[in-house]
Amino acid sequence: MSANRLWRLLLAPGAVWLLVLFVAPFGIVVAVSLGTQDFIGRVHFGWNFENYQSILDPLYYPILLRSAIYAVETTGLCLLIGYPVAYTISRFGGRYRNLLVILIILPWFADYLVRIYAWFVILGDDGVVNGLLHFVGLPGNPPVIFLNRPFAVVGGLVYDYLPFMILPIYAALDRMNPALIEAGKDLYGSPAQTFLHVTWPATIQGVIAGAVLVGLPSVGDFATAQILGGTQTFMIGNLIQDQFTGAGDWPSGAVLTIGLMALLSVMMIFYLRSTSRPADLMS
Amino acid sequence: MSQFPALHRAEVAVAERPGVGIAAPPAVVQGRRQRPPRPFDRPRFLSLFTALVYVYLFAPILVVVIFSFNSKRSTQVFGSFSLTWYRQLLNDSGMIASLTASIEIAFITMVVATALGTLLAFGLVRARSRANRPTDVLMLTNLVSPEIVTAIALLLVFTQLGLTLSLTTVILGHITFSIAYVTIIVRGRLVTFNTEVEEAALDLGATNVQAIRLVTLPLLWPAVIASALLVFVMSFDDFVTSYFTSGVEVAPLPVRIYSMIHFGVTPEINAVGTLMMVITISIVLLALAVYSRQQRARLAFLAE
Repeated sequence: MSANRLWRLLLAPGAVWLLVLFVAPFGIVVAVSLGTQDFIGRVHFGWNFENYQSILDPLYYPILLRSAIYAVETTGLCLLIGYPVAYTISRFGGRYRNLLVILIILPWFADYLVRIYAWFVILGDDGVVNGLLHFVGLPGNPPVIFLNRPFAVVGGLVYDYLPFMILPIYAALDRMNPALIEAGKDLYGSPAQTFLHVTWPATIQGVIAGAVLVGLPSVGDFATAQILGGTQTFMIGNLIQDQFTGAGDWPSGAVLTIGLMALLSVMMIFYLRSTSRPADLMS
Repeated sequence: MSQFPALHRAEVAVAERPGVGIAAPPAVVQGRRQRPPRPFDRPRFLSLFTALVYVYLFAPILVVVIFSFNSKRSTQVFGSFSLTWYRQLLNDSGMIASLTASIEIAFITMVVATALGTLLAFGLVRARSRANRPTDVLMLTNLVSPEIVTAIALLLVFTQLGLTLSLTTVILGHITFSIAYVTIIVRGRLVTFNTEVEEAALDLGATNVQAIRLVTLPLLWPAVIASALLVFVMSFDDFVTSYFTSGVEVAPLPVRIYSMIHFGVTPEINAVGTLMMVITISIVLLALAVYSRQQRARLAFLAE
């Protein structure tokens, strides 16, 4: 049928674009990761598998570990903050539910860098909070150093990605039948029991989706650690950025990029497996 | 739950008539009614917590907006209301060049990515071809790939091909990450109305192209417009891809802000940040309005 030919033709432009500017570039990253760089910065391709040893470099190792820890902490905090918020909106939001959800997303549409910069303004040595503390009479100049500390970076990451945790959990709660909660209570379950045995299992998909949506981008984030942190809080993203800007080493940067990609793929596979399992049970 | 109406009815029945099905004496039911409300039944604590989270989400943005109107340089003391920093912004030719460049990038990205993404959505929904599934996977992989990885990959391609990094390379990068968003939004709408309306048009003697132009597209427009606006905002706000794919001539606005922060806080960043927020948030609200109007139109259409 000629209509089908037309539809198949429509697949082509988008698919070709993604092949040329998304798939092929990965091939080049792999090629560069196996190459060497001469003193004027040109990359010579080869099969230098020893480049991959650099990822085990004791210089890099703590940074990789730190990135993973920050991402886990960020995800955990987002869950602790996000679940109650999603629950409150979904159960008690009433007719303002949609508005409340929009208000959760809206700040996220303020520019990413401006949002990080805002925390710089609030927590900086000459920032809003230190100004208040100074006014209250705390000694020291500044009274408290907030920045360049792990909690500033993790706090910034939580702020960056919190909506990504709230939205899928809200969607899961929304899909859940509220009568289940009532039923749990009518069967004399305490609030804690009802939550643990009814609400939590019914919304676990949303939690997992949120964890992936927060975890993936926070592992690869570099601007937050750059602006709110210092060399003590650098993450893998900063390491990659360093290799590709200024006098960096591109092959090492490519190796790190592939390492990051591998780490994230493992997370992604875990996510896909965990979402497909209940579907298997249903059939 | 809706797949299991019987189960659903049972749940409702249990929920609505406490005590039914459980051999509980009426006295206990009575006692339950009189028990003081438990903390989790009443959303007092949860409401307070949620309110605080909203404060946390909005406070940083408000700080930026408020201090953008400060007459003083300080971010600790508010002098008086003034437009000094906005005036400085308007006289900063570099900043204006970046703003213009960012709008230009976002506009071209919006046009190209919306066109490509919409075509791709049509292809994925309608075509019967072996290429469907791989293309779908390709698009979704693109969507979930971390931006720093795709940005570095693009940087390497551009430099290996000998292209000079410029606004063109930024636009190519932005289009690449935007296509999937358009496809997902448009496809989401495309699958909701069945091909019967189009077939009806064909039966009435319309050609394929006429059927799409006169029947399908009018139904699809709001989704296309909403996704186009979303792409504009994402491109305008984008930092990571812009950072790695922009050259030395003009820095897109987020990249310029990034380098300004390195030199320390200047209230001009507050002003430009506020300006960007006004632009992006009003576009997002516009997209929301278009999208919800479409929802209502669709309901009306289905009701007929």
